[in-house]
Amino acid sequence: MTSVTTSLEPLAADSTIPPAPRLGKTLVAIWQWRDAALVWIVLFAAWYSTSHFVVTSANPLLPTPEKVAEALLASLPELWKGTLSSFTILVPGFLAATLLGIASGLVVGTSPRLQRAFFPFARVAAPIPPTVYVPYAIAVLPTFHLSAMFVVFIGAFWPVFQNAAAGAHALEARHRDAARILGLSGLEYHWRVVFPAALPHIFSGMAVGLAFSFILLTVAELFGANAGLGRFVQYYADFADYPRMVAGILYTGLVTFLAMTLLDRIRRRALFWLR
Amino acid sequence: MTAILSSLSLRDVSFSYGGTSILDRITLDIPQGQFVTLLGASGSGKSTLLRLLAGLAEPREGELRWQNQPIKGPGLDRGVVFQDYSLFPWMSLIDNVALAVAKAKPASSRVQRRDEAIDYLRKVGLDAALAKYPFELSGGMQQRAAIARALALGSPLLLMDEPFGALDPVNRARLQDLVLDIWETALPKKTIVFVTHDVDEALYLGDRVVILGASPARVIADLPVGFVRRRDRQSLYHSADFHALREQIAEALNADTLQLLKAA
Repeated sequence: MTSVTTSLEPLAADSTIPPAPRLGKTLVAIWQWRDAALVWIVLFAAWYSTSHFVVTSANPLLPTPEKVAEALLASLPELWKGTLSSFTILVPGFLAATLLGIASGLVVGTSPRLQRAFFPFARVAAPIPPTVYVPYAIAVLPTFHLSAMFVVFIGAFWPVFQNAAAGAHALEARHRDAARILGLSGLEYHWRVVFPAALPHIFSGMAVGLAFSFILLTVAELFGANAGLGRFVQYYADFADYPRMVAGILYTGLVTFLAMTLLDRIRRRALFWLR
Repeated sequence: MTAILSSLSLRDVSFSYGGTSILDRITLDIPQGQFVTLLGASGSGKSTLLRLLAGLAEPREGELRWQNQPIKGPGLDRGVVFQDYSLFPWMSLIDNVALAVAKAKPASSRVQRRDEAIDYLRKVGLDAALAKYPFELSGGMQQRAAIARALALGSPLLLMDEPFGALDPVNRARLQDLVLDIWETALPKKTIVFVTHDVDEALYLGDRVVILGASPARVIADLPVGFVRRRDRQSLYHSADFHALREQIAEALNADTLQLLKAA
């Protein structure tokens, strides 16, 4: 489950760089990013030259960057509508999974008895690739919207649940002792001690869950949607409109990246107290 | 109020962990208001004894009573300061202390808790760090805040587990004086049980030193420390009485170690 990598950079990495004069700072930044820039340039050059010189116009499978850019601009209104449609599935599904995953994870993670009761089931159920639920959910649930939300929920729930439970279980003895000394128990104990202590774990689980959510959302849309990002790519595939397909893929990548970045920002803000 | 009603008493308290005996039939009576230091080598079980007093662990045998009530689990009538700064790192100092105030005075308003938390933090010299978070503070300042939190419970008994063990000598001395200030000025008088492995610290702070032998821990000496208060480090450390007592403690600890070696 945790094999999906998350963009977990070291916290407060910026603060470890000593303050430098302004120009020096800019140069240092450019120097640090030179390898990353090189990768981008090489990849783009490879695409450009392959599409222009290797794959000829007789073979449209790899459209040129210019054509893709053109298609992207032309499709922006449609892509934007698709984004909104996709988000009406993604946001409720992911949020419900997050809330329920955190609440149940924290409760189970702090109770040895509940751990013994639920962990065997979780160990079996969690590794089931959630994509296999897609056809079944679409068949069983009354609307496509509901079935897609359900699949997104399943995909995001397990990583959040497992990480929240692991975080609660890993609560440091000194914090547990301090909470007991202060007479904290029940909901108050979970809300004021276990939850914040487990937050680093929870955010890791949310990052994995969010990545899964996007995968499941687009897979579900390939099956039965009449709008959305996955649907966009599938639709133009049927017409062999490769520029639009590639534009849709790039656009979906960008949206996913932005969502992951937003989550990472929230994580950094919420975990400011970690050294 | 009789002495028996208001004291801390241990009767034949034994504790073992995983088949190993940690504490062996410890019997102690501590009258209210006394400052007792528990002295012993590292790993001698003195922290375990403190955990039993705090109610964080239960004895295998024997009985612990505080104010004539058996100790069953932690209670707000006993404040604890641990060695590893146990503040909650996700809360500001005010929130950490206000949490204790909320427990001690459930009927108080949010503003009252905050104000009272600020008072406690001022008392330990943290006026300038009220809104700060533990990660922004030195070990000494975190330990001051931990003391403020323990005081905020308003409990008549303070249990301190090598609270200054990780501090540099200057901060250590300052915090020792802070604890003495609190103890001397508190009304009604607080009982303090202070665990340390530092003989000088035990003698500078305590009314009485209880020395624990190792493996398993038992009381090997129980000595009154009669130096006049307020004590002064300079003159105390150079006095003949201090050296005599220090010698006596060293002998007790050495005899215990020798016995261990012989037994091995």
